[in-house]
Amino acid sequence: MNIVEQETIGIIVLTLQMTLLATAMSCVIGIPLGLLLDKASFPGKRVVVLINRTLMAAPPVVIGLVVYLILMRNGPLGFLGWLFTFEAMVIAQTILITPIICGIVYTASERSAKNIRAFATTMGANKIQTEWLVIKELSNEIYFAAVAGFGRAMSEVGAIMIVGGNIRYHTRVMTTTIALLRNRGEINQAVFLGIVLMIIALLVQVIAGALRRRERRTDENF
Amino acid sequence: MKISNIKKEYEKFTLSIKSLEITNSAQNTIVGAESNYPGYVGAASNCPDNGQYKIYGIIGANGCGKTTLMKIMAGIISPSSGTVDYEGLTGRDITMIFRKPYLLHDTVINNLTYPLKIRKIKPNSEEIDILLSMAGLQDLKNEYALTLSGGEQQKLAMIRAFIFKPKLIFVDEGFSNMDIESVNLFEQYIQKMSNTTWVLVSHQMSTIRRVCEYVFFMHKGEITEKGETKKVLDTPYTKELKEYLQYV
Repeated sequence: MNIVEQETIGIIVLTLQMTLLATAMSCVIGIPLGLLLDKASFPGKRVVVLINRTLMAAPPVVIGLVVYLILMRNGPLGFLGWLFTFEAMVIAQTILITPIICGIVYTASERSAKNIRAFATTMGANKIQTEWLVIKELSNEIYFAAVAGFGRAMSEVGAIMIVGGNIRYHTRVMTTTIALLRNRGEINQAVFLGIVLMIIALLVQVIAGALRRRERRTDENF
Repeated sequence: MKISNIKKEYEKFTLSIKSLEITNSAQNTIVGAESNYPGYVGAASNCPDNGQYKIYGIIGANGCGKTTLMKIMAGIISPSSGTVDYEGLTGRDITMIFRKPYLLHDTVINNLTYPLKIRKIKPNSEEIDILLSMAGLQDLKNEYALTLSGGEQQKLAMIRAFIFKPKLIFVDEGFSNMDIESVNLFEQYIQKMSNTTWVLVSHQMSTIRRVCEYVFFMHKGEITEKGETKKVLDTPYTKELKEYLQYV
């Protein structure tokens, strides 16, 4: 049961570090991109939206393979020496979840931002106040996008297995450990880690729920 | 405010206004409208443009372009062609109230004070209480605004426009969900508000008659008749306005 002790804690910490960093980077890229994609009008916009939606459902192993080809010794970014490192896993995760966050924010913005901007215009808000209001009014959807991205990143196996290599004490995270333990037939430990993963997912939902704006809508017309 | 040669083209509809001018100040009031519409009565002498008007109405059947025209004048949408001259008015002097107003995902009080917040003006609690009381929302000020009824939402949108005292207010069916008592109250308030010019869109001819001093009638994207409210509504000139008045 050694793996359940010190090494397990290290694996959980590494998983959280990787997932949080990838989610943060994806939010920084995906949220403005989603808002911009809705606001901007340019030829080929539909194609860009279609590509983004396709990437939302991209198979992780394909993303992993692409990142692997880029980071491999002879690849365009091979000189960085990032293959089978924490950085490689974060890059793969970021590529994987940025379209998800961008897509959710774009859809929310497409539905509401026009009305919010029209309202801001009628109130005399300047451009910065207007865009800030759009973000504030869409904050629930943005929280949802971030949580969805976090969940996807944390449950990911294929891409990080390819680019991280599941190296002990180095790039081994919870999902890859579960896969390894199952292969070894150590089902009890695999189940234990699975439960820990589920508890973390639950905690994330609880925290997100506490942070999100309390919305009480009613369709009743009193 | 003056708009000239405005066109807004949609797939099945084109708004086309040759000119429309609403300038209201203590010294000078100009109301003007030109139209390419055949049989336009703007040039006819039965509708003089020499009064001191403060509250205007735009009437017309659904889909005739009233809201589109208002949105262009309020700066919410841009025309496909033509010019809008605000004659010194800025975005902060103009507002528009919609039939289904946008309310922030926030409390009633924060919705009400939002225009002050973005102008960095400290809310005057006495004035806020008066406005909330007028709208019957004083006990609901800490409630979530989206839980209000349709009429209450319209009243909140109305007092939110009053609070920052814009010079030009467009109201697009802003009374449609209100009870009669509230409509009367707001009509009186509108008439009392000095230094503010109002442009109202409404299908409620009782409101148009009671409040508006001057009215524009629109048909298929063009202004086809205009003049002092009583004259236009009592002696309609065009066939379209006569038909419209039969059904409202």
